[in-house]
Amino acid sequence: MIAFERRESAGWIAQAIAYLLAIAAGLLASVVLITITGADVADGLGALWQGAFGDAEAIGQSLAAAIPLVFTGLATVVAFRAGIWNIGQEGQVFAGAMAGYWMSLQLAGAPAIVAVPAVVLASVAGGAAVAALCAVLKTRFDVNEIISTMMLNYIIVYLLSYLLAGGPWIEAGSTAYHQTPLIADTFRLPELFGLHLGAPLALLATAAVALVIGRTPLGFELRGLGFNPVALRYKGVRVATTIVMAMAISGALSALAGVSEVFGINFRLRAEVLNGLGYTGIIVGMIGALNPWGTLVAALAFGAMANGALYMSVLTDVPSALVPAMQGILLLFVLGAAVLTRYRLRFGRKDGRHG
Amino acid sequence: MAELLTPAILLSILSASVGAATIILLAALGELLTERAGIWNMGVEGTMLCGCLAAYVAMCETSSPITAAGAAMLAGVAAGLVIGFLTVSLKVDHFVTGLGFNLLASGLTLFLFRSYTAGGKPAGYATIDRWPIPFLSEIPGIGPILFNQHLLTYAALLLVPLVSVFLARTRPGLECRAAGENPEFLEAKGISVAKRQYGALLVGSALTALGGCFMMLAFANEFRPDISGGRGWLAIVAVIAGNWRPFRTMIAVIVFAVLDSLAVHAQGMGVAIPYQFFLMLPYAASILLLAVVRTRSGQPARLGIPFLRR
Repeated sequence: MIAFERRESAGWIAQAIAYLLAIAAGLLASVVLITITGADVADGLGALWQGAFGDAEAIGQSLAAAIPLVFTGLATVVAFRAGIWNIGQEGQVFAGAMAGYWMSLQLAGAPAIVAVPAVVLASVAGGAAVAALCAVLKTRFDVNEIISTMMLNYIIVYLLSYLLAGGPWIEAGSTAYHQTPLIADTFRLPELFGLHLGAPLALLATAAVALVIGRTPLGFELRGLGFNPVALRYKGVRVATTIVMAMAISGALSALAGVSEVFGINFRLRAEVLNGLGYTGIIVGMIGALNPWGTLVAALAFGAMANGALYMSVLTDVPSALVPAMQGILLLFVLGAAVLTRYRLRFGRKDGRHG
Repeated sequence: MAELLTPAILLSILSASVGAATIILLAALGELLTERAGIWNMGVEGTMLCGCLAAYVAMCETSSPITAAGAAMLAGVAAGLVIGFLTVSLKVDHFVTGLGFNLLASGLTLFLFRSYTAGGKPAGYATIDRWPIPFLSEIPGIGPILFNQHLLTYAALLLVPLVSVFLARTRPGLECRAAGENPEFLEAKGISVAKRQYGALLVGSALTALGGCFMMLAFANEFRPDISGGRGWLAIVAVIAGNWRPFRTMIAVIVFAVLDSLAVHAQGMGVAIPYQFFLMLPYAASILLLAVVRTRSGQPARLGIPFLRR
């Protein structure tokens, strides 16, 4: 019989062991999955590694793939640390990309110095507005935010589908692809060292989230909200306002993922390039232990996996869908292993005496 | 909108709604059982998806709806075991577990589907036949709506009173509710809370997966990634809006189902409003429903709170 004893804080050794166990179990499960497909395990994982880190170009692409995941991962951190279950990152990424694209249409012909900041601001506002809407639904109308954010994901994805599939934003003459025309050069995110502006922004965002959560009154309120909202209320904090703030920040971060993909890499808006960034970001944030720097590390790893997966699916018989499956398995093992850090396990007999 | 409401079309929409309701109703009843036992299972969507894939593969391999239903329910039990191990045994937060499980199911079903179809897609299968009930199905109006449906639809509708009676009038039902309301009491009586919660989760998840199976058998003849399309989430909303009561939950399910079939019919009839807006309706309605129907008196007292033995 195993008994659980809560403990206040976990030692870093327990945390490290939990993560190593989870990663080992996740790898083992991936080996089983590859075996199912009938492909050679070494070939499959080798190709995955090669595609992710094989040469300078591969590493650059892996970094680029990590950028949006840093943003959606941080979005998860901000919300979840506040005890708000925002799982609308997917929709907020879409909303951000759509608001940014809308702004680029309004400012057609504007110089880059105006165009780029305007697009980024518009998209941040779009993502924040959608998330804040769910926060208000929660504080005013008692609608559980898991439900409202999830349902809005579907609604927003259909909205983009309407705008692109024969709707007003579709590229003239394009029927096979549901996408907008290419975005003018002035709206594209400038490049620095082979990566677009999103890369330094992602680093900045990580540091900013770490700073805000760890060292500011707002961060104190956010953590308090996740920890003990009643105490927070007695302290005189306007909890409803804090919830809206947390959600708006979370939505704004997700929106930046949409901007990165559309204005930094693909230069046109289409659903395929945004699909899954939000959901993967939830995994990234949770595997990063809801810590901003941990999330950055997890995002880099997941970006590499996503990039390597393409190479692997071309080179071997293993479908690229191995990666989302692997990520899901890893997440559940991390969640399970985290129990080691939250409880002290006592092995003993049922009557309470420890054997 | 006027042409939407001719009697023939209305009949067709309502009849389709009862079919569409079956999917969500099975899942909602499963979730209701689970939640009454205190487990706030957010993994309904993922569980349904597992049921869809299992049913699809079984149908392609054996062409037997019964095997497909069995395979789906087994997949549901497996999903319930995973969720139960994390929530009941390891005391991981229920929301985190459910969200994690959904992400796992989405990735894993996609991978397994791609692996299964890697050597070329198997030929589809025919959707299952309806089972009109003699005489009753000939009643004008409600006959074709209620009594010309699939076998599983009748079963799902019958399950509503059955679940209600099970919870209210039987000993296992009482124990199940006690696990959600007052687990210390069960424990003091020497009854294992964990066993009741596992039981509710396994049965509930099997029902949810059966809902997924029905979707594959009656509405689709091919699996698609994330084919469940939020119906698992609608089931959760139905339980909340139904104040954790079987009959009220069914009413919420029917609202979603009518909107769901409205979208299908509108697409087919070339209504001027773009079809995407119809597709949004059930999701928008779910938010609205939660904002308007705000009675939560039926919510189990310990719903979603991991039970720690002393």
